[in-house]
Parts: sequence; structure tokens; C-alpha cells
Amino acid sequence: MQMIDTEKVFEYSGYKKEDFSVCLGCKICASVCTLNDIGENVNPQEILISIFLGKVLNTHPLVRLCTSCYRCTDSCPWSIRIPEVIRALKEISQKEESFGKAFRSSIKIFGRIYEPYVILKLSSVLLRKGYIKFFPKWIEYFSLHLPHFVRRD
Amino acid sequence: MVYAYYPGCSLKGSAKKLDVGIRKVFGVLGMHLEEIPDWNCCGAVEYGDASEIRSMSRKNLFKALKVSTRIIAPCPLCSKNLKESDGSGEFSILHPLDVLSLDFLMSIPAKKDLKGYVITPYYGCLLLRPKETAIKDKEIMEKVILSFGGQVAGEEIKDKCCGGNKFFVDKEIVYKLSKIVLKKSSPFIVVFCPLCHMVLKTFSEGQKVLYFTDLILYILGEKKEL
Repeated sequence: MQMIDTEKVFEYSGYKKEDFSVCLGCKICASVCTLNDIGENVNPQEILISIFLGKVLNTHPLVRLCTSCYRCTDSCPWSIRIPEVIRALKEISQKEESFGKAFRSSIKIFGRIYEPYVILKLSSVLLRKGYIKFFPKWIEYFSLHLPHFVRRD
Repeated sequence: MVYAYYPGCSLKGSAKKLDVGIRKVFGVLGMHLEEIPDWNCCGAVEYGDASEIRSMSRKNLFKALKVSTRIIAPCPLCSKNLKESDGSGEFSILHPLDVLSLDFLMSIPAKKDLKGYVITPYYGCLLLRPKETAIKDKEIMEKVILSFGGQVAGEEIKDKCCGGNKFFVDKEIVYKLSKIVLKKSSPFIVVFCPLCHMVLKTFSEGQKVLYFTDLILYILGEKKEL
């Protein structure tokens, strides 16, 4: 387990410590969280309070699974953008998944997401984790187009 | 009127259909879209540093200046990121639904109606949330469907999340989330986001997943069937 530097979470998410001190602990974020619709039993409020107390751990399931749906933000009395706090946590703890790595690598090379490149980078994940069975339904999504290279500043 | 057009990465590949649809709808309605030269990725939700995301989109706003300060961005995520990078409010960043108002759509010569069709408008997350970057009329698609004689169903799931951006992280979760949406939807589901389209189509058993542009093009007589 790795402790996260909470100062960096504030820097990345653009929040200050006092922004989380107003969290009333009402847990409405948990009651509307998309992941709880399918019984994942997650509580986004735990993340806010632990960052406020300065001892957050990067093993919280939301770090991997938050879908960035913003239902928590929409319901929160303080409109705290929890998905953005979680993304900061994820970035700092370097919990990047293969998809995120392929995505960033494409941006580095092309300046855009060039899907054929991302698919190639992800090919072993697609093979190993059973995505191949979806390919017949994905035919309309595949197209051969040349990449555009965005000019560097 | 000329708009600067920000297609975004998906619309150049997997969501080509949405790109073609948008260009066609705007063309038929007499609005000119000019693609922002050399635009770059908006960063989607893959970066943890909020200022890094904003600076990626600010570059696009700067590139748009050569065309117009009125920017059309059809991808809900791109349009959110662009809106948030415009700190001074110098630009007007619009999702196509912000331009295609009901009055406007009702004023165009419709060639077909939607009588007999039961349709579920599935907005997903980012067109409706967060409120700062949401579209102006959150019931626009329901109104369009009803105005052209169709029926609306499944409104309770219109703002649920399909889990799209976790599709390549955990497909079981995305399967369960999309089933919640599909179960409450009618045989025709209208979507706005490239990821919603992909997820719902992957897990749909016979329900048809359409982009909103397909629906408008059908009404305009540019598309033979839904």
C-alpha cells in the first residue's frame, strides 16, 4: 500500500483543504453513485474525508472504477466534483490502466487518439480479456483512416 | 452563419457516423461548419491534473480563433472540456443540441414524421451534468420526438451512466450498467455520445441504437429508415 501526498491532490484537482471541510457527511454521493446501482458498495465520501485528514490510500475501489458520471457532484450540497478528485488521486498514485496508457501514448505521438494505434496497443488485453467476441458488433466502428499528426508548439 | 467545428478524436474513427450526420444536418439547415485546423485531443477524462486538461482545450480555442469564436463540439466530453477551458467567456462553445432548438427544428420543412415510433432519448451523463457545462434544454429530444408525432419511453434512465469510459477496464461492470439502461429502453434508443453508442450497441439484443442526427435526418427526409 502506498500513501498519497494529499497536497498534490489539492494541486491537481484545484481544490483546497477547506473545500472538503464543508462536507457534511450526508453521503448523498454514495446514494446516487452509479456503481451502487450494481451493488459495488462504494462510498465516495470516504475519499473526501480521508484526503481532508491527510491519510488517503490509493486502494479505494473508486480509483479504478469511478465512471465520471458526475451524479455525486449534481447531488452534493457543495457541488464537489468528486470524479475530478478521484482522477487526481489516480494520477498521483500512478494507477493507470492499459487503456489509459495506450490513450496517453497516442496523444504523445499524434496529439490525438488515433484509434487503430490504441487498438494495436491494447491488442493483448482485447485478446486475453474476452473482447474479441464483440468484434462482429464493432464492424461499423472500424475504419481505415490515416493519422493526423498535430503540430508541436 | 459559420461555426468552428471541433469533431474530436472519436468522430474521426469509431463515431464517423456522428461526424457525417452532424455535417449533413448542419448543411441541410444552411449552417456552415468549418473544421478547426490542426485541432488536438481534449484529453477526455484520462488526466488527473485539471490545469493540464484545461491547457489542452485552450490550445483548441486558440486554433479556433482563425475560424470563429462560435464552436460546435458534438462529443459531450469534448464539449464539456472546451467549455471549462474558456475561463473568460470569450467563446461560445455549443453542443449541436444548443443550436438546434425546438422552434428551429419545427420551422424546417419536415418530410417525415415519427408516428408509430416509441423512442428513448438516452442523454447519458455529460450533456446533463455538471450543471455549469450542461445543455440549455434538458428535454429537447423528448420535445422533438413528441412534436413530430412519436412517443417517448424510458425517461427514468435518460441520465443514467452506461459506464462507457470503463469499457476497457472492467467490461462486467459496463455490461451490468448498460443492461439497466437497455431494460427500460424502447426498441429505438437515441444517443449523443460515441461511447454510449458503442456500449449500448455491444450489449443490445435487437434494440436499435441511433445517433440523434439519424433521427433528424430521417425527419428531414435525408434518411430512408430509422
